[in-house]
Amino acid sequence: MIALVLANMKMMARNRQAIFWALFFPLMLVVVFGLFDFNGVGAADVSVIDQSGGPRAELFRERLSEIEFLDLEFEDLDIAAARDKVADGDLGYLIIIPELFDDPAGQAQAEGPAPVMLVYSTRNPDRNQLVDGAVRNLVSHIQSGGAPVIPSQLLTADVIQVSEVDYFDNVLLGLLGLGIMTNSIISIAVRISTFRNQSILKRLLVTPLPIWKFFAAEIVAHVILALVQAGIILSLGVFAFGGHVNGNIVWVLAITALGSIVFLNIGFILSAWAKSPAAASGMGNAVALPMMFLGGTFFSTAALPWILPELSFALPLTPMLAALRDVAIDSEPIWETWPYLAAMGGWVVATALAATKVFKFG
Amino acid sequence: MEPAVQVENLVKRFGSFTAVDGVTFAVERGEVFGILGPNGAGKTTTLEIIESLQKPTEGRVSVLGLDVQSDAAKVKTRIGVQLQASAYYDYLNLKEILALFGSFYPSKVSPESLLDQVGLADKAASRMSELSGGQRQRFAVAASLVNNPELVILDEPTAGLDPQARRNLWGLIREVNGRGVTVVMTTHYMEEAETLCNRLAIMDHGQILALDTPRSLINQLKASYAVKLTLDKPMTVAQLESLNGGVELVHSEEQSEETADEDAKAENTYLLRLANSPTALRSMLDEIDKAGLGLENLQITPVTLEDVFLEMTGSELRD
Repeated sequence: MIALVLANMKMMARNRQAIFWALFFPLMLVVVFGLFDFNGVGAADVSVIDQSGGPRAELFRERLSEIEFLDLEFEDLDIAAARDKVADGDLGYLIIIPELFDDPAGQAQAEGPAPVMLVYSTRNPDRNQLVDGAVRNLVSHIQSGGAPVIPSQLLTADVIQVSEVDYFDNVLLGLLGLGIMTNSIISIAVRISTFRNQSILKRLLVTPLPIWKFFAAEIVAHVILALVQAGIILSLGVFAFGGHVNGNIVWVLAITALGSIVFLNIGFILSAWAKSPAAASGMGNAVALPMMFLGGTFFSTAALPWILPELSFALPLTPMLAALRDVAIDSEPIWETWPYLAAMGGWVVATALAATKVFKFG
Repeated sequence: MEPAVQVENLVKRFGSFTAVDGVTFAVERGEVFGILGPNGAGKTTTLEIIESLQKPTEGRVSVLGLDVQSDAAKVKTRIGVQLQASAYYDYLNLKEILALFGSFYPSKVSPESLLDQVGLADKAASRMSELSGGQRQRFAVAASLVNNPELVILDEPTAGLDPQARRNLWGLIREVNGRGVTVVMTTHYMEEAETLCNRLAIMDHGQILALDTPRSLINQLKASYAVKLTLDKPMTVAQLESLNGGVELVHSEEQSEETADEDAKAENTYLLRLANSPTALRSMLDEIDKAGLGLENLQITPVTLEDVFLEMTGSELRD
């Protein structure tokens, strides 16, 4: 089987045109996304928890909503849960208006103004400065009533330290998943369809080579190619465009390999139905493209309407990207992503069974 | 010693279509056994069952004493196969392809030696796309010998080749057989079957119509000579039937619209067979004279397998 794996890799390496196009698409997107400045100061999503409920707090909330770049939500949130959302990046800023905000007597008793709490993470320093300054000025204006106060007594910033991460890091991992998915599905579907059309599969069947070795050699060679592809995509993203991979690269590659196996199995299934290599390519694109948009390659699946965010986790790409981001961006150990790995494992088994059922040699 | 191939009452149906219909034959060790027949005769299906590529609907096939169904893996290690119109990997060179296929077998012949045997030693670093049709077929034969097989199955090895390339391949097949390797081959070239095969099965519509040595098959015909004659006027069917002396009408070449202007001589041309009798030719010419017909052209040749095939199937070989 080793001879067949080596021969497969040799053939893939010599098919330079196919390799070029397999890499070109994800690399082109890495360049395009790398050139954009996604970290410019955009709207900041802010949740406000009002523990005071007094008229001055109401005025503060009104003035906050007049600040254009703040996208306000007044939710009845638990402070700890809201703080977790900020830490996870699901929420930009949290403002907590304290109970004594409207209680001068209480403040006097406490020997100082009750400070408003502004919670944010270190993800976006430029925007943090802007939001911090705007909120601080507003609190100062409302609370001081014109009298001199020390601003730091009016607003306390609770800055959550997170690993350096930005939108490009998310997209880089999305593009990694996209590259592995399209290359694995289309490459194997076209390759097997070509082999069948040229009777190469039939020729192999008249040798004593066990069928499982044929499949294993194809999978091993393609997984090695996927890992090389992952290395190139991540290197370009990190070294040329300043992306970050904070987690353990070995876990990232392990998830890449598992995802590649799922998509190779899908490619085997498509090759059974495709009557020609061109049809196999078309079918591969038809399967990969919707998954590219629904699987969270460029944007969070949470932004999808209706029940699509939940349904998107039924696709194999979504758990793969979620696991990749948890491991690469949030530095989680791979075993913490077990629900995603289990979903991918389910896909490996289901697609392998389906491929065994439908695959045709002749 | 068991025969190289033993086929008993073999039937293969695809839905309501019967591709192979009760075929029985045995191939002795060391011989070149040919299966001759037109496309769709059931030759390839029969071979694919022998190669374990397809399961028979009925019947039993054994190769080198092993059942092809229950001992498929063992059979595959001892036979070599050249499939009809099979390609090889595009991105490996000839030497690499042979090394790869050799790795599938417990014992193998070196790629260099195989390429040398088929006269492609200088093409070791070339890819399939760089070979001519004849070279590709020779390579396919080389690939079938990669495991030093006891039996080689060649499915239309010379299909589509020019006469020179075909003769080169015949030499190669003789050479392989000369080393004691049993060869089973299909062809629809009469001359090839006659030249190469020790024994021959004529197959059509899934059945074996005749099985013998090429010489015996030819001798079975009543006629010994084929006569092609062109007359100045058409002969009626009654006149043709009245020709005696062991003359048999095989074919009448009608003048077609396309040939009418270009080749008027195709008109009134008849293909006949004559018994091996000294009086037959004289008798035929006398009858033509009596009928007041003029003889414009006359060709006499010994009968060949082509004539045997026409006799057996009542039709020319379909392509």
